[in-house]
Amino acid sequence: MTVKTKNPKMKSMKLGSHIFIWALILFTLFPIYVVITSSFNPTGSLATSSLIPEIWSLDNYKVLFNNPAVPYLTWVKNSLILAIANAFISVFVGTASAFAFSRMRFKGRKLGLQALLLVQVFPSFLALAAIYVMMERVYTVFPAIGLGSLGGLLLIYLGGSMGVNAWLLKGYIDTIPLELDEAARIDGASSFQVFWIIFFPLAAPVLAVTALLSFIGTFNEFVLASLFLQDVHSRTVAVGLQQFVGQQFGQNWGPFAAGSLLAAIPLVILFLSLQRFIIGGLTQGATKG
Amino acid sequence: MMYRLAGFTGLKAQIFKIAFMSIIDALLIWMFFASMAKEDSSTLSAVIAIIFVVTNLVYFAKFTLPLKFLLPGLVLLVAFVVVPVVYTIQMSGYQYKTGNEISKADALPQIEANGLVLDDLAPTFDLVLGKVDGKWAALLTSQVDQSVLLSTEEKSTVLPAGSFTADEFGIARQADGFEPITEEFAANNEESIVSLRFPYKDASFISPQGIDIAAVLTQTLVYDKDADTFTDTFSGIVYKDNGRGNYAAESDSSMTLTPGWRAWNAFENYTKLFSDPNVRGPFIGVFIWTVSFAVISVMMMFFVGLLLAVILNQKIALRRFYRSVLILPYAIPSFMSILIWAGMFNRQFGAINALFGTEIDFFNSPTLAKMVILIVNLWLGFPYFYLISSGALQSIPSELEEAASIDGANSRQIMSKIKLPLILQILSPLLIASFAFNFNNFNIIYLLTGGGPTNVLEGQTAGATDILITYTYKTAFGSQEQNLGLASAISMVIFFIVGSISLWSLRRSKVLETM
Repeated sequence: MTVKTKNPKMKSMKLGSHIFIWALILFTLFPIYVVITSSFNPTGSLATSSLIPEIWSLDNYKVLFNNPAVPYLTWVKNSLILAIANAFISVFVGTASAFAFSRMRFKGRKLGLQALLLVQVFPSFLALAAIYVMMERVYTVFPAIGLGSLGGLLLIYLGGSMGVNAWLLKGYIDTIPLELDEAARIDGASSFQVFWIIFFPLAAPVLAVTALLSFIGTFNEFVLASLFLQDVHSRTVAVGLQQFVGQQFGQNWGPFAAGSLLAAIPLVILFLSLQRFIIGGLTQGATKG
Repeated sequence: MMYRLAGFTGLKAQIFKIAFMSIIDALLIWMFFASMAKEDSSTLSAVIAIIFVVTNLVYFAKFTLPLKFLLPGLVLLVAFVVVPVVYTIQMSGYQYKTGNEISKADALPQIEANGLVLDDLAPTFDLVLGKVDGKWAALLTSQVDQSVLLSTEEKSTVLPAGSFTADEFGIARQADGFEPITEEFAANNEESIVSLRFPYKDASFISPQGIDIAAVLTQTLVYDKDADTFTDTFSGIVYKDNGRGNYAAESDSSMTLTPGWRAWNAFENYTKLFSDPNVRGPFIGVFIWTVSFAVISVMMMFFVGLLLAVILNQKIALRRFYRSVLILPYAIPSFMSILIWAGMFNRQFGAINALFGTEIDFFNSPTLAKMVILIVNLWLGFPYFYLISSGALQSIPSELEEAASIDGANSRQIMSKIKLPLILQILSPLLIASFAFNFNNFNIIYLLTGGGPTNVLEGQTAGATDILITYTYKTAFGSQEQNLGLASAISMVIFFIVGSISLWSLRRSKVLETM
């Protein structure tokens, strides 16, 4: 598109565009600025008079690592366990299902796909009352996978991500040319070998993106985690920080800001470095429709 | 890696498979027996048994190949999505709330226990516990007239003076055939001691209230097994099973015995949503706000995102920089951003009030709280809409634009007449998906306002900013009353709404036909 800046109308439009963008940038950066300055502000609360802290210190960060009432590292560890386990297992299991749906023809395939499509629009936390009662019962028999355990929560997450992942992955797998598997089959490969040897390496980048989205989704999950993990040491970062800052907004704000910043930075870097792939995944649904 | 995997065939693969399946089987068998050993876990045991049989059938028998790929996902999906959904449907048909949580079989003894009343007119007794012929017995000395009873669980007999030995306080300690128990034995058998009942008069009995004192209790509620009724022996009121999980007085249905039990109420939870004014009021209010919140949010995000995409699609300076900064909200974990915004709108400490030198209590006014939610949601969501709009804009072939400009259309006309309709068409499935997402956007409401402000004094159960999903959460796990039945019914309503919107959208996009 060619923009003729000599046209006065165009010129005012361009000015308008810049104002709009800069307003949006201020809007975007304001909370980020606030959280960064608060994390270095030792007075604990948000600056009440000025937005620029007069003293800078690392006190808030020290609270996270030295205060036994705030087991921040345990929270991070719990979140990472859940997010990594969910990303790996759900992508692996989901790929197997998607492979069957994409490459095999069998009775009930179409029905299965339609059911999958319906299931994946329902967030699993909608059935939270039922999940709660169910896992309460499981707890009485198997405490390790019942209410209050990371294992139980992971199972719920896995079940919930099956629909979305299988559906998304089937879309990707459909785009991998059939000729490759056919060639392998002619050479005498079994279905499992096609899956392992041909298919997995080819789909690896796509699987990585799906795993990453799954990871971010689990990291962000709040409802089920807060319902499930009541004990302070089994909480995830999301639940832990929320409970912590919710107790006393004024007092705990500084450490909360520090904790948020520390947890967010790796994720933001990961996201920005992989944004090309992630965005490709986002728009795929649109252009295919 | 390819070569190693290629060699992974025949015998080696077979051994690996058998080893792996043995571990799975061993685990499932252990789980099955562990579950069988517990009471009330027959459903769980059955589920484990089914998984065991199906897994072995699929992987060892010459069963259809696709199932070998599908099974792990299928098991997870059925166990943790389908079963909870079916269970939700079932729960929504039940009276299932605080006071009606247990089964009827568990409720009966509790009601009977609640019907036990201390008889104020009868004396209390000094108690010496022991055994007669190896069975529980008690020497009871009345604190009123020092008369002595020797009681077994079958009968109580008054002992004439001289047939027992009393201590210096006049409390009977020894009698013929009565062997007192040691303190240690008493301490180890506290549970059975508390449940001992020695006959007294009529419906009354003597029950230990500790290891050295006993009192007379009267059963005021008598259960008639055949008629399934409780009769109050004082007032004569008969309580009947009201079919809604409680025994209610025949004369006045609001008089019920506690506890109740979870009982089939024929989907009354659903009719309540529309007929019971105490439920209908908050439900309709919440419903309207849910829809307006989702619609306004999507429109605002889409407008800002699209405008940004149009601007950044031109060759303006610093484009890459703008782009990287403006997608930041999408990259930051959303629960954190929401909590940070919640802090920023805080009345005392918040950066917003600090910036303008005000002390506005944003979260105490329904209107302001709603505006805050919309603003924060815009912050969270516009980058996503920018990204998808940008993708859609770039997918429009440039020939269209050239053809239109040759026909004399100016850039505004090209935008509104050609690009916009095309973008809307391309993005409509994503807009609908986004609507469905925001319809259930629990995090933003719960973490920002907690659904509030709620006027508790006026007895409000729903806050001004509660959406259906947070209202469900409050209904199910609230601090005052937990109504799991009603919460399940609301969940089903959400299922139905979101499901039909998604189905409609899928049908429009014709995904179903190309599968």
